[in-house]
Order: sequence, then C-alpha cells, then structure tokens
Amino acid sequence: MEFNHVHKSKKRVDVYEKVTGRAKYGADMRFPDMLYAQTLYTKYPYAEIKNIDLGSAQKQNDVEAIITAEDVPNNKFGVIIENQQVLAEDKSLFIGDGIAVVAAKTAKAAGRAVELIDVQYKELKGVYDSLEARKEGSQLIHEENESNQVIHHPLRKGNVKQGFLESDVIIKREYDTPFIEQSYIEPEAVVAVPYQENSTITIYGSIQNPFATQEAVASVLKEKLNKVRIVQNHMGGSFGGKDEVVSSMAARAAILALKTEKPVRLVNTRDQSIKESYKRHPYKMKYKIGATHDGRLKAMQIEAVADSGAYACQTPFVTWRSVVQATGPYEVENVKTDTYGFYTNNIYTGAMRGYGSPQVIFAQESLMDELAEELDMDPVQLRLKNIYHNNSITASGQKLDSHQVSLKEVLTKAVEKSDFIEKYNRYKKEQPGDKKRGIGLSISFRGCSLGAEAIDAAGIILSLKKDGSVNLYSGLAENGQGLKTVYCQMAGEILGLDIDRINFMEVDTLISPDSGSTVASRATLIGGNAVKKAANNLANRIKKFIAERYEQTEGDIVLKDGTIYGKKDIEIMSIAEMSSKAAMEGVYLTSYGWYVSPEISWDEETGQGNPYFTYVYGCQVAEVEVDIKTGEISVLKMTAAHDVGRAINPANVKGQIYGGVMMGLGYGIMEELKTNQGYIQNTNFDEYLIPTVKDMPDIDPIIVENPDPDGPFGAKSIGEPTLELGAAAIANAVANATDKRIRSLPINLEQIIVGRKLSKGGE
Amino acid sequence: MQKVKVSLTVNRKKYNLKVDPDERLLDTLRDRLHLFGVKEGCSIGECGACTVILDGKAVNSCMVYTFQIDGSQVLTVEGLEIDGRLDPLQLSFIEHQAVQCGFCTPGMLMSAKALLNKNPNPDKEAIKTAIEGNLCRCTGYQQIIEAIEASTKKDGSE
Amino acid sequence: MIEFEALKPQNLKEALAVLKEKGMDIKILAGGTDLLVEINNNSDRLGDFKYLMDISSIKGLDEIENKKEHLIIGALCTHTQISESELIKRNFPILIRAAKTIGSTQIRNRGTIGGNINNGSPAADLITPLIALKGSVILKSKNKKRELPLQDFITGPYKTDRKEDEIMTKIKIPKITSDYQSSFQKVKRRQAVAIARINLAVVTDIKKKRFNDIRVVFGSATPTAIRFLKIEKRLKQAHINELDLESIAEQTGQEMVEITGERWSTPYKKPVVGNLLIRALQEIIREVQ
Ligand SMILES: Cc1cc2nc3c(=O)[nH]c(=O)nc-3n(C[C@H](O)[C@H](O)[C@H](O)COP(=O)(O)OP(=O)(O)OC[C@H]3O[C@@H](n4cnc5c(N)ncnc54)[C@H](O)[C@@H]3O)c2cc1C
Ligand code: FES
Ligand code: FES
Repeated sequence: MEFNHVHKSKKRVDVYEKVTGRAKYGADMRFPDMLYAQTLYTKYPYAEIKNIDLGSAQKQNDVEAIITAEDVPNNKFGVIIENQQVLAEDKSLFIGDGIAVVAAKTAKAAGRAVELIDVQYKELKGVYDSLEARKEGSQLIHEENESNQVIHHPLRKGNVKQGFLESDVIIKREYDTPFIEQSYIEPEAVVAVPYQENSTITIYGSIQNPFATQEAVASVLKEKLNKVRIVQNHMGGSFGGKDEVVSSMAARAAILALKTEKPVRLVNTRDQSIKESYKRHPYKMKYKIGATHDGRLKAMQIEAVADSGAYACQTPFVTWRSVVQATGPYEVENVKTDTYGFYTNNIYTGAMRGYGSPQVIFAQESLMDELAEELDMDPVQLRLKNIYHNNSITASGQKLDSHQVSLKEVLTKAVEKSDFIEKYNRYKKEQPGDKKRGIGLSISFRGCSLGAEAIDAAGIILSLKKDGSVNLYSGLAENGQGLKTVYCQMAGEILGLDIDRINFMEVDTLISPDSGSTVASRATLIGGNAVKKAANNLANRIKKFIAERYEQTEGDIVLKDGTIYGKKDIEIMSIAEMSSKAAMEGVYLTSYGWYVSPEISWDEETGQGNPYFTYVYGCQVAEVEVDIKTGEISVLKMTAAHDVGRAINPANVKGQIYGGVMMGLGYGIMEELKTNQGYIQNTNFDEYLIPTVKDMPDIDPIIVENPDPDGPFGAKSIGEPTLELGAAAIANAVANATDKRIRSLPINLEQIIVGRKLSKGGE
Repeated sequence: MQKVKVSLTVNRKKYNLKVDPDERLLDTLRDRLHLFGVKEGCSIGECGACTVILDGKAVNSCMVYTFQIDGSQVLTVEGLEIDGRLDPLQLSFIEHQAVQCGFCTPGMLMSAKALLNKNPNPDKEAIKTAIEGNLCRCTGYQQIIEAIEASTKKDGSE
Repeated sequence: MIEFEALKPQNLKEALAVLKEKGMDIKILAGGTDLLVEINNNSDRLGDFKYLMDISSIKGLDEIENKKEHLIIGALCTHTQISESELIKRNFPILIRAAKTIGSTQIRNRGTIGGNINNGSPAADLITPLIALKGSVILKSKNKKRELPLQDFITGPYKTDRKEDEIMTKIKIPKITSDYQSSFQKVKRRQAVAIARINLAVVTDIKKKRFNDIRVVFGSATPTAIRFLKIEKRLKQAHINELDLESIAEQTGQEMVEITGERWSTPYKKPVVGNLLIRALQEIIREVQ
C-alpha cells in the first residue's frame, strides 16, 4: 500500500519548541502571586503520628498556609482500591508518606517552615518483605483487611500433575528482581490554580494521565468532575511513573490553592521524587518446568509474588499482565500459575514501562536457557520447538487467529542478523583471557493495550478551520514517545493534509474526550483507531459537501496534498477554499471519532479467556563481555527485532527501540533501588545508576511489519515490548560467557565475583 | 544572607544582578532571567539537564554559585538561535529525531555545542565523552549521536 | 537548610588574611563539585560554617609549572586542564588516565585537583596516583607555608591535616626517570560518571627485569588510599617473568583485610584487589617487553 503521510519518518511536530527551550514543562509555569509548596515527609517508614505541632512553622515569614491530613476532605484515593493516603493520617505506611505541606511566598520560606514542623511519632515495627507479609498472622498494613494480600490471580489449564509425570526432564528454579525507579529526567511538577474561569481548580503539570488525575483530585476535594480541570504540560518522560504520585501532589496543591486562593506550585527534587514516587514491583518467582527429551514442553508451574508496598495502586493490574505473559510465548498443555501481590511497608509499586512483564520474562527466558542446557539443545532450537504459531492456544486458552503470529519471523531475523548460533557455540568454549564474551536471547509475546483490565476506548475530536487547518483534540497524551506526530500523520493521511496543517492541542480535560490512560502501549493502536474514525467522518463530510455542490459522487472524490480531486482526477478546489465556503454556509466541520476495542474476556477463577484482542512479538539478542576479574559487564551489541504491525513513523519506532533497549540494559546490569527496613538508600542519580551514553551497545533495530487487521493502518504497539526483553537476553549472554547462571537482577559486580548481592547494612 | 553584586553576560546580553550567596547559576537563569530551557533534573551534577556553556566550557549550572562567576559569559539553549535562525546543531537534532520528551535536549545541545566549538570534527568517542554527563532516559542516545555526528560534517572542513 | 554569607577575596593574600581572621567559620569553595552536592544534601560532613569563601577565580593557582626536579600543579587546576596538559602527559601519564575517568566533561571542567584532595574521599581518583607518585602538598597561611607528603595530609576518610587558616596552593610531584612505568585501574558500576568501586595506582621502575622502587596504592579499598607496603616489599626485586600471580593476588587481598577488617563488601573486594594488581603488573610488564 502506498501512503503519503503515514509509514514515513516525519519530523516530530513538537520538536521546534523542544530544541529551542521554548517548550514549557510543569516546573516552568509561572502565575501571578504563585506560592511555593514543600512537603514534609514522615521520618519513619511505619509509625503512629501522635501529634503535629505547626506553631512555629506557621509563624514564619511568608508562610501562607500549612495543611495536614485534617485539611483533606477525602484522604483516600486509588484507581482500583481506594487506600492511598493523600497525607498520612494516623499512621505513616511507608517512607514517602507526606505529613504536611507548606505553601509560602518563596521556596526558601517553605523549606524553612517544613523544618520547623514538630511531629511526635511512635515508631512501629513494620513488614518489609513480601514473603513475610504473606505469612499468616503477619502484622497487617491496612487494618481493615483480613490479610496483607492485595490480589491473587490463579491460572489453571490442563493437569500439571499429569504433565510433569509425562516429562523426562523437570527443573525448578527461583528468580528475583528489584525495585526499579522509572527515572524520567524531569521530576514531578504541578501547579494548582484556584477559580480560573469556571473551574474550581485547574491543575497544570507533568501529568501522565490527565483523566486519572482529574478523578483523583475531584474525589479528594469532593468536587464534581466538571469543576476540576487538568491541563497537561510538556512531559519530561514518565514511563508509567507520573500517575498516582502526581495525582497525590495535585490534590495537595489543590487544597492549598483553595485555602489561600492563590496558585500553588509543588515541584519535587530528585530526592523527593525517588522517595515518594512508586516503583516497578520487585518479584520473587518460583518456576517449575517439565519437558520431554526432545524438548517439548509438557507442564509449567509458577508462583510469582509481587511486593505492592504500602498501597494497592496498580498492583492488581500489573500482576494480571504477569499472569498472561508468565509462561512465555510457548505452547504448554498443562499450566498452573499463581500470581500474588502483598502489602508491605516498603515504597509502593505501580506502573512502569513493561507493567508486570519484565520480571516474568527475566525468569521465563532464563529458565528456557537453563532447560536447553539440561536437554543439551541450543536455545534457538528449544524455542522453535515450542513457540506460538498462527492458531496456537495460549496458556489462558486463547486461540491466536486474528492476526499474523510472527514469533518465528522475529526470532529468525534476530538470530540470523546477530550470527547467534555461530557465536553461541564459539563463546561456549573455553576463552582465553579475563574478558569472556557471551551471547543470549529472549523472546516474548505481549498483549496490546489494556486487555481485560478495563474498558478500552478512546476518542478524538477534529475541527476543520476556515483556512483548511485542523485542531486535533485527544484524550491520550504525549509523554515524549511521539504520539502527537503519529496522530497528525494518521489524520493527515486521511484528510490529505500535511502534518504542519494539523495542530495537536495539549490535553485539557475541559475539552479532550476522556480516553482513559496513556498506558499499556495502547495510544497508537486504540487512539489511532479513533483518529482514523474522526478523520474518516470529517473526510466524508467534506466529500458530501463537494458532491452536493459540484456534480460529483462521493466515491470519486479524493483528498490529497491539501486539494480535493473529483472524477478523472480533476482538481476541484483546495481544502482551504472548501473550508471557507463550508463555514460560510454554516456546515458543521467538527468530527468525533470514538473507538471501542474488540471484545475480550477473562475468568478470574481459572485465568482462562481471551485477555487481549491482539499481540505483538519480539526477540532481542544481547552480546556481552564479562570481566571475570572485576565483575564488570559491557554490553557490546543488542539486536532487537519487533513486529509493530505497521511502523507509522519508522524513525520514532527506532527511537523507541533504542530507548527501550537501554532501559532493559539498565534493568539487566545496574539498576536497583535499595531499601533497608523501608528506608531508601539511593535517592538520587549518584547512587541510583541508569545507563549513560558510554554504556550504550551497538544497537541493531529490526522492524518487522505484519499489518494487523485491528490496527489503524495495521499498526500495533512498540513502547513496552522494547524494554521487557533486554535483561533476560543479557542474563543468558552472561551465562554463555561465564558458565554462571545469575537468577537475581541486576547482574552487578558482586554477583559476578561472589555469586550473590552484597549490601551495606541490609539483608 | 547578604546579597552579592554580579555582572554577567548571558546569551550576549549584559546583566547587573544582586544575588543571594546560595543562588546557583541554575536559579539565576531560571528564576531571574526566565530562561526555562535550563532544566533541573537532579541538583547534584549527575544528569546534565542544567548544562550551559560558561566561558566556553560546558558546566552543570547546578554546581556553580552565581556569585562565583562575576564577569563571565554564559550561553544557554535560548542563545543558540541567532536572529530567529536555529543553530545547525538544533536543525540536526530535528532532522535526526534526536528528541523524545525533550527534557534532556537543552543540556545535550549545550554539551554538544561546547564540543563543536572546541573541536569541529570530533570522532564518535569524543562525542560520547562530551555527552557522558547528560542522562537521557528516552532515546537510548543513538539518534542524539547521529545528530551530532551529522552536524560535525556540516560544520567541519567542507 | 544551610545558610551562609559569600566571601570573594580578590587574591591569595586577601584570602589568607580573611582565613586568619575567621578561618573556623569558613568553608573554602573551589570548583564546587563536591561542596555543592554536600550543601544540596544537607550532609553531616559539612559541620558548621558561616561563610563560603570562593577561591575559584584567584589568579596564579591554576598553573602547571615545570621545575627541574618537580612538576608543580596549582591547586585550582581542573581535571580538564590536567587531562590536556602536555607537561603532565610527558611526565606522569598516569595522572591523565586517572583525571579522564573523573565524573563527566562538565564535572572535569569545574572540579579541581585541590578539591579532589581536600575533600578526602576514599574513592578520589587523583589521590591514589598522587600518593603513588610520592606527591606532596603545599599549604599556605597568612604567615606560614608548609609542605607535607600527601599520604600524611590525608588523615582519615574525608579528614585532612589542613588547618583552618590554610589554603592548599600547590601539589608538588618529584619527577621520575623514563624507566618508570605506571598503571591506573578503576572498577566502576557503569562506564562513565562512576565513582571508583576500587581504584589502583602502581608506579615502579624496572631494573634488570626486576621491580625496583615499586609503589602500590589502592583507593576505596581501605579507609583512605594508602600504599600496600607488604605487597610492595614482596614485589621489590621480584623478577617480572617469575611472578607467582596467584599468591600475589591472594596476599594483596589479605593485606586489605588486615588494614580494613571484614566489611560487607569484603567478599567482593578481597579477590578483586588482587586481580587488579595482577592486571596492573601485567600491563606494566607488557610495556617494557
Ligand atoms: C557527578 C559527579 C561525578 C564525580 N565523579 C568523580 C570521580 O569519578 N572521581 C573523583 O575522584 N571524584 C569525582 N567527583 C567528585 C569531585 O568532582 C572531585 O572530587 C573534584 O575534584 C572536587 O574539586 P572541586 O574543586 O569541585 O572541589 P570543591 O567542591 O570546591 O571542594 C571540595 C573540598 O575541598 C576543599 N578545598 C577545595 N580547594 C581547596 C584548596 N585549594 N585548599 C583547601 N581546601 C580546598 C573545600 O573546602 C571542600 O571541602 C564527582 C563529583 C560529581 C558531582
Ligand atoms: S540538575 Fe544539574 S546536573 Fe542534574
Ligand atoms: S528525550 Fe527524554 S530524557 Fe532525553
């Protein structure tokens, strides 16, 4: 198919502001009389708050208001389970809980006042281990509950007992992964402005999901949704991270703004950000797998326990995605998995790019290599024997028949391009010197969009102006990933307009259609379908207008290059001219597109159903060099093959692959948020290390395209798949290099040399 | 705290300021001069989002007190553009899709600019060294390197 | 929150006069890459101070001088300056190797050698090679000037022998003959902007294929960077082709434990210090063969 605007590496529509420094992010917003807010955090992870004395803080110069839990109309919020405190009420439940927030004329005054607040605590003995929290009789984090369990997702298919009986080889392994910080470079920032126009409160800021924040703030303020307005600024990255934490900040700022009747700005430092923002869940996983001598998988039994930290946040959904992906993209007749989340007094955990998949993929794909080793097969062979094809039945009983199942294609392409087999065998042999090379791979299938988590729908408004330019209103939001550009390309394709004629408006809950959250790599797929609908509606209206007046039939009319063509390609007029004529005649030139995803299903008791309406497939190969004398690892090369359905903007797809690969590399060898009895030990980028440019391997992106019947122009997802595979591939490469299997992330210096993690004063 | 008098040339414009002793160059640029292209990501010299060119050298503006640099020349991302014309490096960042969320972009541009001023034809390793102190969580750096490499050829010997 | 007044003396004389008067309340500020971090973090290490005295633009303290017997490096020389100095490259390439591993380009543009030493971090990347080069430091006060070996100046982790009224003005390094070789090793958790997990400087001459005046200094392995005298003694006069590498490595680890005691990190560091020393020796031997 020939396209004019999609399937092309168009320049980003938001790039000019960004390279000139004009783009305004949350912390750049300034309003007259704006106050600066500072949060006082709890001193202990788990403590009773006996008394809060604001006396001397309140008397400070320039201090205008201080709030505590008492000032919060409704102190608990949450998308799934409402148990997150805006400010700690009777007890602090984790080290990032806020106690009070000060608003003052200057940031300094606010900072000084925070230091003067006198809080009396009674320190309590907390629970800091998810397995401890699971034990019967364990201290309850939320007293209203009967246990610390947030969720349990079972999945039952076939008969595992029988499956293991039929297996020739059975192996059991345990894996674990750490807390991970999203590490967007822009710390959280919000400004709350009271009584602007008709809204009680307007919040500007670095907000990943304006509608989720709107609901949280409205519920905290006990205000109507239509009185709470959220305007998204440019976002300095999010990766799932600027949701609940920002909602909580927005609510705090809103209360202060209403109290003082002045705009209130609440911007985190990096330390505050790391301390109070939720993380990727640490998992402890037990895997048991059985196979025949010739490498057919017979049974798999999995138990995965996630640490939810102090709040439920998105744990029920994150762990649900793990259930679907836990067995990997392999046909197994007999499966039993149990995925749990438990409350602890650790930092709470929520969405981060991958959303429950990187943990299980690390385990699953490490396990496949361990099994291959046991069976004396090469890792590619073993996988090829068991992977999904068209019409395969997944662990949850879904038949993959709606789209091209391209696992074999991505696997083969990555393996060939990286020269995997030759290198794998060569590196397996004894290597001279201190630096050992290794190569490893991992594959995955990933359900696109929300799946059976929630209703999956999105809307777009297109408004054609008299001069033939278009405003596009979307409820899904640009987080830096390039969404604005992709939507403009899709609308441009259908309307025959260049993308510079289309203006993607900032997401503003006042006008943008509520489309749920920009998560789950769903924006191109779900929002893109809505763009398509809206653009088709508008194009049809244009065609109808022309047909009725210029003796044309709608079917003959083509919109291209800003011009309207009729029968035999005759040029009728420009879209601009038509727009102005139509406007004069009072023709309605705004269109709406609303898309609801195809039906899906899920049975919570058995874990059976059709959890997602389509999937993407990926394979990454890592080549590493391990210095066995120091434990240092350098990742030399990553080959990443991803089926994206169709690449609406290939340069953006590559950008996602490069970025995701690097994030996966960080997960593999360096990143770990360290906690000790609930305290966070690394609260800034000096100790929480993320990859620098010098850590970058040579990255070879392979874009595979099998257009999906349910995707707009065939497009599916790319954001998350790129990140979920890296750590597993690296772990396998390290094992290939050193003959040592490391089952705990990150694979750092100590693990290579000592075989386990070491930590100061901890565990 | 007693204020300190400082004169600075920022983006070719001269300013006479009275600053607090603990006012960082980052604060002066953002809060006084409203040059919001200078970003704060960590406050401790680790992320590079606050990078500006101070007397010809890339520095973290969060690591400098303004009172230390009386008489200095400062260039921020806002100063790259001259009379509405973008710097070739900015154009190259646009061309090579070197920007995602854009939060690291101003700092990246300034680190790269300082490098190219000193060495118009750097090799890849020199480019990496110039931006090793600029963290980017979105792009994986690849397209940023491509953008800088491309503008070396344009600026260089040809 | 830390509050202070700014002092900005115009020259060294003025700075020393101010220090004489209120030294106990003054923090000296050079490139600021350690100090601003500590101030931002409200670090306990800062102690009390009322004034921050900026010396970063004092003239004359940022020069590299070539003396007959010594090379003299001004305390305000930045890591970038050191990395680019032809004089240093010719005389002490190990310093360049070390300086290039410090922080990032931005940090090297501001951070100074004087700051690196005076901050006294056990992981400071210049202290290790400077001790191995038998460097000494020159401190000036209003009426006095003194010189002492760097090894003696560093008295503990983040502790030095500097008196309240002193400024470090220079670092003095005795020249070595061309039959000296050196090696710098640094173990990092990532490939750039990384504090040394362990660093190592080895400086030695080789006479008749035997190590002679060998100096082995580890950083970040002991409370402060120091010479490993026992292993030096064992290596002195050892033939470069007859080294029992395994037992040298083993002994190095033991020496570290003797100095430091068992710590949480010992299981890692004990083998790795030995491995690093072997690597450094091999590098040096390769150079001479
Ligand atoms: C992101 C980052 C990365 C870093 N990476 C490294 C690294 O890899 N390796 C490494 O070794 N260091 C590293 N550092 C630490 C730091 O950059 C160096 O130690 C630097 O050399 C300090 O010099 P400065 O001039 O900035 O010191 P300042 O911060 O100005 O001063 C440091 C201390 O020395 C005192 N002082 C400074 N100069 C004098 C003087 N002339 N006389 C007396 N006292 C003085 C000050 O009072 C203060 O106590 C890093 C720092 C950062 C922020
Ligand atoms: S804010 Fe200055 S380096 Fe991060
Ligand atoms: S583009 Fe987002 S941090 Fe670099």
